[in-house]
Amino acid sequence: MVILSRHDHHRCESCIDRLFTLGPAPCPVCNKILRKLAFTPQTFEDLEVEKEVAVRRRIAKEFNKRMEDFPDLRSYNDYLEEVEDITFNLIHDIEIPETEARIAAYRRENAALIELNIQREEQYNRLLKEQEDAERQEREHRAAELRRLEEEEREEREKERQELIDKLETSDKDATRLVAKSRADALRRASARSTAAANSFQSSSKLLRSRAAQNTIVPDAPHVPLQDDWYAYEDMYILRDNYEDPASEAVRRDREGIMKAGGYRVEEAWERALRSAIAGLEIMPAEGIRTVGS
Amino acid sequence: MDAVEKANADRQKRWAKEQKIGEGTYAVVYRAREIATGRRVAIKKIKVGQFKDGLDMSAIREVKYLRELKHPNVIELLDVFSSKTNLNLVLEFLDTDLELVIKDRSLVFLPADIKSWMAMTFRGLEFCHRNFILHRDLKPNNLLIASDGKLKIADFGLARDFADPGYKMTCQVITRWYRPPELLFGCRYYSTAVDIWSVGCIFAELMLRTPYLPGESDMDQLKTIFRALGTPTEDDWPGHTKLPDYVPLGQFPRTPLRDLFTAASADCLNLLSKCLIYEPRRRISTKDALNHPYFFALPYPSHPSKLPKPAAKANSSHPLDEVDGNVDLSGLGPGVKANPPNKLKRKVSSDELGSRSIARRLDFTQHR
Repeated sequence: MVILSRHDHHRCESCIDRLFTLGPAPCPVCNKILRKLAFTPQTFEDLEVEKEVAVRRRIAKEFNKRMEDFPDLRSYNDYLEEVEDITFNLIHDIEIPETEARIAAYRRENAALIELNIQREEQYNRLLKEQEDAERQEREHRAAELRRLEEEEREEREKERQELIDKLETSDKDATRLVAKSRADALRRASARSTAAANSFQSSSKLLRSRAAQNTIVPDAPHVPLQDDWYAYEDMYILRDNYEDPASEAVRRDREGIMKAGGYRVEEAWERALRSAIAGLEIMPAEGIRTVGS
Repeated sequence: MDAVEKANADRQKRWAKEQKIGEGTYAVVYRAREIATGRRVAIKKIKVGQFKDGLDMSAIREVKYLRELKHPNVIELLDVFSSKTNLNLVLEFLDTDLELVIKDRSLVFLPADIKSWMAMTFRGLEFCHRNFILHRDLKPNNLLIASDGKLKIADFGLARDFADPGYKMTCQVITRWYRPPELLFGCRYYSTAVDIWSVGCIFAELMLRTPYLPGESDMDQLKTIFRALGTPTEDDWPGHTKLPDYVPLGQFPRTPLRDLFTAASADCLNLLSKCLIYEPRRRISTKDALNHPYFFALPYPSHPSKLPKPAAKANSSHPLDEVDGNVDLSGLGPGVKANPPNKLKRKVSSDELGSRSIARRLDFTQHR
């Protein structure tokens, strides 16, 4: 089997095994130090194509911007043009150092976006996989259900047959009419079964698929416990464990234990009193009121 | 026309009533629009003057507390005005409620959806508790869902502020299936923990898609709770035998939650069990619940816009459950709701799927 190295000098598999068993070694053609890892199996007969595929794979990993990352179509097209230029240069070995510099510069400038797009891609793949899993499960479920139904149907048919035989034995009615009646019954039951089964399956699979599709549009955000900014003066007081409070003394003593058992908390009343007292502190007194006695 | 009348007339002019969408003993609900913006709203017209006691208690409570609360997860009271002898509350218009979502068998819930609804419920309730208000009637049908998927706590007809030390509160609050054991034992001094129990029941209901603790009478409710969670011992709940209406109900063993909620994650069951702790003082608080690992674990809570919702129906039969609080009452004060004359109201409507409005109508005639 022919194997291709990254610098285009290909070897057969047995030669590579022979040359590189003892670690890195110079290439017999150009004396460049190589490792076995640098050789990949050749997919295409035409080496040009093989190289282009390798280059494009490498470029796609980093130049992964999407249309929505650009303000308008024009700049997106310019970007695509640039990517194509770079790819062309790499494939045809034109201005390699300059091109590599361009790639490095791009990588520096867009590190965050590249990372984000990699994540987006991963998420999309994960969703696809989840959806596939769900569908596979559904198929298995459906197959099991079908088997169960078939089994039931078979048992039922068996039962009907037995009943018919019993009836024919004991009843004095016309035999052909009894047979016809039992046939009609069986037919009716079978059709009812098949429609019911079809309905129940179709709906749940469709629903699951539509939910999975939604997931790609609006992302779920991590939980944030409180989302309002309503100020409750919590930074302006510290609730103590105990207060000198004659009004609530009986409640706190709680001789019968019913306050405690019912869950009443004197602390909640204290906190309310405190907050009410503090809430008015920053309000300036109304102006223009004459002080009494002056 | 004096200044007050003029101000009232100006307010009234901001809203245009469109269509009646529900009627009860105490209130009629209309769909309406804000004239300036075209925004959809609901107007709840409270009938005054035909009752000798004056304004309905639940209407007073509703105005009193909703005026104070403004939060993304609490229904917004936009305006209040009077027309002739009636009081009109202008409320946010909301599409559906969590009960309808739970009952709609064509919807599939993901674990992330349940997490999202629970987070929104806890956020709304935390805001009420931060403002020293007990809701006292949490149930799926009072958790309304806006068109963008956001959940909002509604129906403050049984709400009250925290009692001062030593002042009694009524124990005849909270719809039975969501009522905590301390209220069933007749406790008159309680706290925010009563609402947490209701949220725990709703949490379980979201996973089971059927009410978790459906007792048929107050006594049976306690038995149902004990059958599910085991009879509490003095260690589980110190002092509960001294509560006013305590009666021994026999010993039931505790079955692990895991047996019933087979698909739930460990975090999820941990939070559920903390909402359903017998001793009210040890039950989790809204703040602690919102910081529970369940909410931070993967999967992230679903974005509200992706939450499952029943398909839109013909507009005339549109249920607006904000009306519920007043519609159900039959004039016996707040206790009525907890002890509805038609005890199996929800069952009746659940038996005939989709005939919700009919079940309601039957209810009305009974009260008339």
